Amino acid sequence: MKLLTKYNRVNILATIIVFMIGGLCYYFMLHFILVKQLDRDLKVEEQEIADYIKANKSLPDSTNYGDQKISFEQTDLPAARKINSVDILNATEGEYITSRQLVFPISISGKNYKVSVSKSQQETEDLIKLIVTLTLSMLVLLLLILFIINRFVLNKLWHPFNNTLTALKHFNINSQSAIRVETSTITEFNELNDAVTTMSNRVLNDYEALKNFTENASHEIQTPLAVVNSKLELLMQSENFSEAQMNDIEIMHDEVRRLSKLNQSLLLLTKIDNQQFIETREVDIAAIINKHLTNYEELIAAKQIMLTKSIDATSEVLMNETLAVVLLSNLITNAIKHNFEQGSIEIILHKKKLTIKNTGTALNCIPDALFERFKKNNPESESLGLGLSFVKKICEQYGFSISYNFSSGIHSISIQFT
Amino acid sequence: MKILIIEDEKSLSDSIASYLKAQDYICETATNFNTAIEKTELYDYDCILLDITLPGGSGLTILKELRANNKMDAVLIISAKNSIDDKVAGLMLGADDYLAKPFHLSELNARIAAIIRRKQFGGNSTIHFNNISIDTQAKTATVNKLDLDLTKKEFDLLLYFVSNKGRVISKNAIAEHLWGDEMGGNLDFIYTHVKNLRKKLQDAGEADYIKSVYGMGYKFTDQ
Repeated sequence: MKLLTKYNRVNILATIIVFMIGGLCYYFMLHFILVKQLDRDLKVEEQEIADYIKANKSLPDSTNYGDQKISFEQTDLPAARKINSVDILNATEGEYITSRQLVFPISISGKNYKVSVSKSQQETEDLIKLIVTLTLSMLVLLLLILFIINRFVLNKLWHPFNNTLTALKHFNINSQSAIRVETSTITEFNELNDAVTTMSNRVLNDYEALKNFTENASHEIQTPLAVVNSKLELLMQSENFSEAQMNDIEIMHDEVRRLSKLNQSLLLLTKIDNQQFIETREVDIAAIINKHLTNYEELIAAKQIMLTKSIDATSEVLMNETLAVVLLSNLITNAIKHNFEQGSIEIILHKKKLTIKNTGTALNCIPDALFERFKKNNPESESLGLGLSFVKKICEQYGFSISYNFSSGIHSISIQFT
Repeated sequence: MKILIIEDEKSLSDSIASYLKAQDYICETATNFNTAIEKTELYDYDCILLDITLPGGSGLTILKELRANNKMDAVLIISAKNSIDDKVAGLMLGADDYLAKPFHLSELNARIAAIIRRKQFGGNSTIHFNNISIDTQAKTATVNKLDLDLTKKEFDLLLYFVSNKGRVISKNAIAEHLWGDEMGGNLDFIYTHVKNLRKKLQDAGEADYIKSVYGMGYKFTDQ
């Protein structure tokens, strides 16, 4: 829910409740005052009638005007004095009118009479109606004004906030530029903007430091490895070693290569994680596949693998070229490395969907685990077990869907380039 | 042939020099930016091996200076920063090749030989080893003027062997040379390729130059 909507809901509800309560209080108060006024008038009338009787020793005439009515009735016992509101039939208009009525006893020469004096409450009712109408119109007017304020003024007030929000949304850690925001006249927004700018600068600096650190760490590790590697290769040229010693030198040499490759692979994974491969262009997937297949064609022939391919000529995918090469070369070399002698490889690239099927031994682990770092099906294998985590990382970055299954001796991996 | 090795890590620079001297190159070394600038300004080299991160400045600056002074020495960048940016920047500035650390000395040697061939003979050069002639441009090889029917990888392998003649080359170095990093560690096929090449050379009447060195790799030699 938008802040404005939420605020408006509370605001409108509160306004309506306040107006309702206010209206009701107003109604009752006015009603009370007006009725009291009427009662006082009735009492004045009672006094006048008493004065008349005192002077004339006889009853005055019954009267029946529009809004005032006096009637007399002879009773056996003196009537009880009471004042209340009653509905009285108005003979001329033929409808009931709410009136205030005062009943009091009077006695003239031993005879008891009950006197009823009533005054119409019509005017009071009219007044109250007017007040209610006025209150309601005020309510409507207030709501209208609130709406206008929200619509035009508040939107304008929140404008700097929305600008900051847009800037935050478009903030790209790789673009190297900090968030720029306009200064506003509102203190809170300026504070927000300051915080956002400070934060973005800090993030950029930290990111830059992290990038440099990974690069430098890799550099620092590669250099000693390069030294050890070169010294071992020089040792190899020497002819004074026993077979066992030469074997040891080769093992050291292999392990140094492995260590260096591990280092490079981890650096590449970090770079993908950090989204440092941002330059994208239309990459010709088919061309990369064909180039790799040509590179490995003699390997494939040596292993007597049957290669069938059905590749759409034009399959351009918008992505980073380096990542495309990493992705495809990993998939292709996997299909060759983990294949049998006289096995088969089938490569299908159709409608931007790449499927690579190859023969191979069944998995010992769950397929999903293969995509994790350092997971490999055969623990004795020379490989680092990072290839498929590259594939997964790259697919994740571009939102390509990836699926794997194994049935009747065929590994099948599919990637839908989108 | 004169080679300048610009590399701040002295032990690495020594190894390179030691390997290259055995290939009859004359090697000089520079371990920092200023010495490197001085030497490149004063002398001409057939090939300069250039590290990018140097004490005192960037290797790329040296390359820029070199090209600004119209010196056309061949330059091979050797960098621990296997980053695409450095590679692209280096090649844009006129470097002839790029090799990431750690590299095999045999690979470095083969690359230097290839660059010098390209630079000095316009690529139009034939390498001889006894009766074997290798035309590096046409990518064909002959034995006693008779064509050898080699596959592309066998040709690459022969050229790699001849470039590093008399040296022990590890199987790993061969695998990476032929197929790149991804197929490294997959050494079974080296044997097949070496066997085929050896057979083709012997069928053409040459002696068996490819010696297996137990546990390590191979050595191409007529001794």
